[in-house]
Amino acid sequence: MPTRADRGVSIIAWTILVFLLLPSLVVVPIAFGNSNEIIFPPHAFGVVLFRRFFTEPGWVAATFVSVRVACLTTALVLVVGVPAAYALSRGHFPGKRALALFLLSPIMVPGVVIALALYIYYARIGLHDGTTRVVLGHVVATLPFVVVTASAGLRQVDPALETAATIMGASRFTLFWRVTLPLIRSSIVAGGLFAFLISFDEVVISWFVARADTITLPVKMFSSIQWEVSAVLAAISTMLTALSVIICLAVAALQRKEAR
Amino acid sequence: MRDAATNGAPALDATHPMVRLDQVAKAYGTVQALRPIDLEVRKGEFLTLLGPSGSGKTTLLNMIAGMTGPSQGRVWIDGRDVTETPPAKRGIGMVFQNYALMPHMTIFQNIAFPLQIRRVPAAEIRRRVTKVLEIVRLPHVAGRKPRELSGGQQQRVSLARCIVYNPSLILMDEPLGALDKNLREQMQLEIRRLHTELGITMVYVTHDQEEALNMSDRIMLMNGGAAEQLATPHELYFAPCSRFAAEFIGTSSLVPAEITGPGMARLVDGTTVVIARGATTGLGHVMIRPESMRLTALPGGASTPNAVHGTLQDTLVTGGTVKHFVTLRTGEMLVIQELENEHRTNFEHGQAVSVSWPVNAAIFLDR
Repeated sequence: MPTRADRGVSIIAWTILVFLLLPSLVVVPIAFGNSNEIIFPPHAFGVVLFRRFFTEPGWVAATFVSVRVACLTTALVLVVGVPAAYALSRGHFPGKRALALFLLSPIMVPGVVIALALYIYYARIGLHDGTTRVVLGHVVATLPFVVVTASAGLRQVDPALETAATIMGASRFTLFWRVTLPLIRSSIVAGGLFAFLISFDEVVISWFVARADTITLPVKMFSSIQWEVSAVLAAISTMLTALSVIICLAVAALQRKEAR
Repeated sequence: MRDAATNGAPALDATHPMVRLDQVAKAYGTVQALRPIDLEVRKGEFLTLLGPSGSGKTTLLNMIAGMTGPSQGRVWIDGRDVTETPPAKRGIGMVFQNYALMPHMTIFQNIAFPLQIRRVPAAEIRRRVTKVLEIVRLPHVAGRKPRELSGGQQQRVSLARCIVYNPSLILMDEPLGALDKNLREQMQLEIRRLHTELGITMVYVTHDQEEALNMSDRIMLMNGGAAEQLATPHELYFAPCSRFAAEFIGTSSLVPAEITGPGMARLVDGTTVVIARGATTGLGHVMIRPESMRLTALPGGASTPNAVHGTLQDTLVTGGTVKHFVTLRTGEMLVIQELENEHRTNFEHGQAVSVSWPVNAAIFLDR
């Protein structure tokens, strides 16, 4: 039974949510306008802008670059982040807390600092492959999210299950692969989806480290806006918002399933 | 500790014990969680570690399992020093209070898991899983997930998962703690049956004295991180070694007393009684079990050598048994239990009564 105070808090929360969401929602009607200029509300509706996205040179190619980068980032960050979270939650070794702090530090450091640092570092070690540059940068940015979600999942695992498996004779590898990993599957999927979304959206690091052959969609959007304010951007923003919403709903559904 | 294990315990393989603890102790920093303990669990034996929470029984079990390393002493399993051996290599099985079945696996997969670890061929796995499911009387659940089963069924599956790989030793940590009373009694019988049929050595941890008395060949009673007494259930009940043992197991009446001569003790109210067993000198308590005592009306009670006078406070009829509560002149309470029958003498509350017991029923405890 919600109390009056609860209702008050939820009204405030919803107001803030609407306030934050409104700018994103405004682009949706614009995207379905028929004009090439950014007008709100649009005079006529159509899918002209979406058609332009698919026909104008560069947009689809940039989208493919983004998808490739996001997929590679997701795969790599899970391979690094999940075992790291496992080591942090189950292992006993000196410097454990320092390592945990280090893995989470990209959240605390401003994105532009990471971007500049990577730019200088890549130049120093002579890393020139565009995809590698962007993917490694995105792994740094998304690692904390994967470590946090995987750690949360690991905390939920009943220690008796791991004890039971160990006493039955399971090796460390078997224990991780057959018991722990399946039990935190939904946390891993959630972390992976977040990583994908963050990578797909990421603009600062990509802008600094991308090469001509790895212009991601957000980078292309950002650079195109410097030349002209094209209404195509509204259509792309709408699609990106839809993607975010779908992924967040998927994560929420996973967590609900987990809670059952 | 008095190890009086020779009477009543079943004849067992005597070549070497299944478990041998040699001066095993555990300290956390400066806190002594477990004082040095020696214990031998014989092959095929059902031994229970019984004690209140914090008595060290689970710590001791975890040291046999290898989940906790002892601060000192050696642990031997099946004639092998396993003190440094990790739990996965000790060849034991364990049953947990919360069943610890893998929620992402079906019942079949759960039971097959330890066999897969041992690289048993698939056809053999199928055969053995089917067989153990029959042994625990759950042949139809192979395809289900653990959460679709009741608590009692889950614990049977957990037992099946243990016995399927034939460990030489099964450890059980309060396995029936999460079940309700009726189911608990049923499962006690079930575990006893498995123990008898399969002949596996079992070390069982519980805080429930009734459960321990029902199931065990021998019980090690633990208190405050030390072994209090190691004995058969019968000995533990009729010959406890201390006040703690007497009070933890069953109901007992304890009256402060002093030894005055060979086989004689003077109770706190001045009565002299005959003591057949227990300590032979000093101050302590006389302990008598409720079913050993007899109540007679005063005046005119039988003149036996072991009789004290008191006042009947209350009589409680609980189905088949009757409990009388009698206070001595000095305030100590005696609990007398007899079987209910139609022709039982009725006593008035506040009536003067005489309480007597056979000569060998009283035991003198000096600690």
